[in-house]
Amino acid sequence: MVERVVALAVLSVSGAYLAYALRMPLGTMARPGAGFYPVAVGAFACGVALVVTAMVFRRAAAGGGVIETTEAADGGPRPVWPAAATLAGFTLLMPWLGYPLAALLFVAALLRQLGAGWRSTLLAAVLSAEGSYYLFAILLGVTLPQGFWPH
Amino acid sequence: MGPIEGLLYGFTVALTPGNLVACFVGVLVGTIVGVLPGIGPVGAMALLLPSTFALHPATALIMLAGIYYGAMYGGSTTSILVNVPGEAGSVVTLLDGYQMTKNGRAGAALAVAAVGSFVAGSLGVVGIMFAAGWLADLAVRFGPPEYFAIALAGLALLSRLSGGSVLSAFLMVAIGLALGTVGMDPISALRRFTFGSVQLSQGVDLVPVIMGLYGVAEILLLIEAGLARTQIAGVKLRELFPTREEWRRSCAPIARGSVVGFVTGLIPGPAAVLSTFISYALEKKVSRTPERFGTGMIEGVAGPEAANNAATAGAMVPLLSLGIPFSPATAILLGALVLHGLQPGPLMISQQPEVFWGFVASMYVGNFMLLILNLPLVGLFVSVLRMPQKLLATLVLLLCLVGAYSLNNSFLDLWVLLLFGVFGYGLRKLAIDPSPLVVALVLGPMMEKTLRQSLFLSRGSLLELVARPLTASLLLLGALALFGPPLVGWLRGLAWGGMVTRRTVLFRGRRGRGR
Repeated sequence: MVERVVALAVLSVSGAYLAYALRMPLGTMARPGAGFYPVAVGAFACGVALVVTAMVFRRAAAGGGVIETTEAADGGPRPVWPAAATLAGFTLLMPWLGYPLAALLFVAALLRQLGAGWRSTLLAAVLSAEGSYYLFAILLGVTLPQGFWPH
Repeated sequence: MGPIEGLLYGFTVALTPGNLVACFVGVLVGTIVGVLPGIGPVGAMALLLPSTFALHPATALIMLAGIYYGAMYGGSTTSILVNVPGEAGSVVTLLDGYQMTKNGRAGAALAVAAVGSFVAGSLGVVGIMFAAGWLADLAVRFGPPEYFAIALAGLALLSRLSGGSVLSAFLMVAIGLALGTVGMDPISALRRFTFGSVQLSQGVDLVPVIMGLYGVAEILLLIEAGLARTQIAGVKLRELFPTREEWRRSCAPIARGSVVGFVTGLIPGPAAVLSTFISYALEKKVSRTPERFGTGMIEGVAGPEAANNAATAGAMVPLLSLGIPFSPATAILLGALVLHGLQPGPLMISQQPEVFWGFVASMYVGNFMLLILNLPLVGLFVSVLRMPQKLLATLVLLLCLVGAYSLNNSFLDLWVLLLFGVFGYGLRKLAIDPSPLVVALVLGPMMEKTLRQSLFLSRGSLLELVARPLTASLLLLGALALFGPPLVGWLRGLAWGGMVTRRTVLFRGRRGRGR
């Protein structure tokens, strides 16, 4: 099921890319325009996506195409979506909260998800947020977002 | 400047205090990254790229390359002691390396792996000295059609050699090429696929894509698989001396592995990984006791370990002499050079001798540092594995986030990182290798530019392009790489089918006569 959805998504994206590319000036063979190469790439992508989709559907019809799930070493399989959501949360919140606070919350949230205790989580969160801020902002001179904190 | 003169000049660059520190940091980080399963050299190089912005281009290149070849040393340590490959290039080493640990010869395996890596790394640098210069001299005569053909043939070879099916590799190439078209058209300045975003006009940055595909995706897989503590076998310093017999048996595999590795490194694809499998198969083939491979044969450690290090050196040749990266790691090095305002290619040796020769000499220095680091301090490196994996995974993700942001101070790069992290995780679940995507993303803009230039020069005639001898040979090579194996398989099947049919006819005929 997953493979079929992925294949259809790839086919749709390839088609959309080609349609977008066709709206650009193609030029001539001697003077190719901005759309010449993207159209070639889009056609290639659509061709490959079509073959892949056909194969996936044919295999699914034959009863194959099952994705293996990984067994966790320290218990049952652990879903990755909470970790991905935490990453997205950091990206969304950093402009508002500023880097140090967003990093602290990110580390704390992730460590708690991974089963760390409260005390070690807080200690690690404070140290890693401050340490990384010191490394990037102070030592390497990277301008990190300050959020609503006074500059 | 000849190779010897150049190398001597390179040593004056590589041995300056700043470059020595950069080399040390690079090989140290590389060794640690190699030891730690889940975080590969490519992710680590991408992670540290922003920290090199303030450095001299030669210093940045020395540090980043140190991570790449340093990881090959570190990877063998966990393969031998823990039965867990630290990175993909050390998978083969565990077959006999871990068996040697079980047989009480862990120290000998580690020493042979380190010395083999040192010898191969040093021989590989000799290869770079001569091959890169020769190829650069040749490449000065290349025009846009040749560059286009090299990139196209390279992608074809990569699609054939990367893990997984050719179709999935094609899909990755298509995605990489499509991503490469995002941004401003270099000739007409038309904005393509930017959807009104000013930041996207500069194109999709390579580094967050690599960090996502190789850093975030690996950590997500690690989180999913569980973060268990590793049981580590201890090794004492006095155990690190192989017997005379073990040395004798290791010499030829190291030499063969060095040659196999360097040549494999020149070919597009996962050279370090591929070279270890070829070397292992070769050692098994030339051995008088092939059945004993997998039970703790030192040849099974010496050959592949030499091969993966020589391959990293070989992979530098197309990058330095043609400016074309054929692997994600060399793509990062190209990115680093471009960020520093340099364009690797045939003219780099003559126009930037400090960078080229400084880098080549630093590889000698780095290999020597690695030999010293990896033998007496092996226990220290392995103890890195005792660090809580939960903390390690979290810190790597945090560094990926802040590293991606610091490239352009852009939140778009963070979203690209996240998107490609999840995408890379999905690819791993579908057993698809993402390296063709990375290489295509790097080669895409160059392919477009050279294709349009070629068509302009030939007044739109594709035949004129193919009529050039080198272009035709390269395109033929690419076509052979793609269609050769299935064609051979089909012909074999046809021949075998023919034989079966003939046999069947004969059999039936005889039976018929018998009846």
